[in-house]
Amino acid sequence: MAVSRRVFRDVANDKRSLAMLFLAPIFAMCVFGVAFSGDVEGVNVIIVNQDQGFTLPAGNTTFLSEKIVSNIDTKVLNIQNMDNADEARQKVADGQASAVIIFPENFTQNAIIKTQNSSYPDSGQIIIQGDDSITNVRNAILKTVNQALSDTMAAEGVNPALKVTSEPIYGQDAEFIDFFVPGILAFVVYLLTTILTLITFVGERANGTLERVLATPVTEGEVVTGYAITFGTLGIIQVALLLAIAILVFNIVVVGNVLLAFLAVAILAVTCQALGILLSSLAKRPEQAIQFFPFVILPAFLLSGVFWPLQAIPDWLRPLSYLVPPTYAVEACRAVMLKGWGLEKIWPDLVALVLFAVLFLGLAVWSLKRGKNEF
Amino acid sequence: MIREGEYTIETTGLTKKYGNFPAVNNMNLKVRKGEIYGLLGPNGAGKTTLIKMLCSILTPSSGNARVIGVKIPDSNIAAQIGYMPQETGVYLGLTVKQNLNFYGRIFNLEKTEMEKRENELLQFVDLLPWKDEMAENLSGGMKHRLSLACTLIHQPQLLFLDEPTVGVDPELRVSFWNYFNQLRENGVTILMTTHYMDEARHCDRIGFMQRGNLIAENTPLKLLKKSGTDSLEDAFLMFSQHDENHQKEVIS
Repeated sequence: MAVSRRVFRDVANDKRSLAMLFLAPIFAMCVFGVAFSGDVEGVNVIIVNQDQGFTLPAGNTTFLSEKIVSNIDTKVLNIQNMDNADEARQKVADGQASAVIIFPENFTQNAIIKTQNSSYPDSGQIIIQGDDSITNVRNAILKTVNQALSDTMAAEGVNPALKVTSEPIYGQDAEFIDFFVPGILAFVVYLLTTILTLITFVGERANGTLERVLATPVTEGEVVTGYAITFGTLGIIQVALLLAIAILVFNIVVVGNVLLAFLAVAILAVTCQALGILLSSLAKRPEQAIQFFPFVILPAFLLSGVFWPLQAIPDWLRPLSYLVPPTYAVEACRAVMLKGWGLEKIWPDLVALVLFAVLFLGLAVWSLKRGKNEF
Repeated sequence: MIREGEYTIETTGLTKKYGNFPAVNNMNLKVRKGEIYGLLGPNGAGKTTLIKMLCSILTPSSGNARVIGVKIPDSNIAAQIGYMPQETGVYLGLTVKQNLNFYGRIFNLEKTEMEKRENELLQFVDLLPWKDEMAENLSGGMKHRLSLACTLIHQPQLLFLDEPTVGVDPELRVSFWNYFNQLRENGVTILMTTHYMDEARHCDRIGFMQRGNLIAENTPLKLLKKSGTDSLEDAFLMFSQHDENHQKEVIS
């Protein structure tokens, strides 16, 4: 009984411990519940409708394509219309949309004739060309278009033999593992770097080594830089190792320049070690540092697009995704590895990462300097 | 650099407040070059806070202090001072030698110089047989000795030692004091805190601290004489009692 009483008191004396004990699980559950609905929404697609329609014997011209488009669930797909298929494809290649949905000129004609005469060689074809590297998104697009198709067929009372062909612009034969690996690279580095620095630095504070070093000619900036170099390097080594395993064991396809992925992850690691130092200033003991883990792990886990694409995160929550540094590293790694994008296309992600790095490094130095007035 | 007639440490009205609580209160302290000055007082008297301010790792709330002729806080004097914190102050994940090496590198010691210093210091703190041992495997007293060695690696001319002899066995403590005396002869100034009243006798001068105030200071002999007691412990109790009464008078 005495032991139990002691433990209760220990927890009760530490207000933050108490808060974490009850707030962290609530926080975790809410974020999980909201972010992990799993439904992909708001996918940008471009429809190129070249359908000329079909004039029925009765004299009226019908356009099956329009009916199908009107049946598309616009919650899932954000539709933009374009006339030029090549321009539309270019937009997908540039990452501004996830897929082009093309209705060819003879779409309605072929579909209707094929219904009436099954020996007719051509059937109505919807061509979907997209970025298949993100499997969830690809599946959502196919599912939604198919749904619209079958709804239309039911409403029209016809059963045209329509075919949906999917010829990817990116991600030929991509599987979930291909989508997953770049994300997990960034996530692992984020997690390990932040937590390792946090723990190491709490130790430095508790052991008096930090104070001692600051009493030497070494400046706060040098301490932070020293840590940054170490963890940046370690991050690259981690990624190299993981990547080797992913390629050799899981046969994932790497299209682009791996060095760019390394760069993105190294910047992320630097950001994370600064975050670790920053958090360490809030913890006096290692136990307190551990309480930060849910707040370090969960947002990145849920919001950065590691396990499901950003499109699967509700609209109103998505801005938060862009406040979590790993989001940019995940995005950059994926673009490089799956789409083969170069610096000219992923620079916004790198700039975002560098800005985060600068911000957090600055804050880390500031937190060390501020300590001079406090502890 | 200190000019003729200047003190190595000189504080005027040096104060550090945490909120409204003065950890160090209006401290006026003068320590001469080549002096061993011992700060004595109960836990929480402000000894450590004072030392941290003098090492420029804590910013004073008010008052002034000059250390080696430089107004602090100033990181430029860092290379000339050695600070031994009360905590372990060594990297547990490094070996004994790696620890010394790290602190040596910070002060840009040359390789040959570093090896020479490392060997001397390891011998002095009696850790030579353990030089490749991880610091985390050392006993408390051994860690403390390593910590002292790390403080001395760059031959600082001013030493701040926060309880340097805690957990050090009596025999080694004697050799520590021999070394401190040797350093003093070479003109090194030492400001240390200690709990051991018997060892405070070895200091040139002693300052009694209580609740952030310097309540008495003098040579050990004169303090004994003034208090009319025959141990520093009793002397401290007398002065602290006197101070309490004085405080009460001031308040009433």
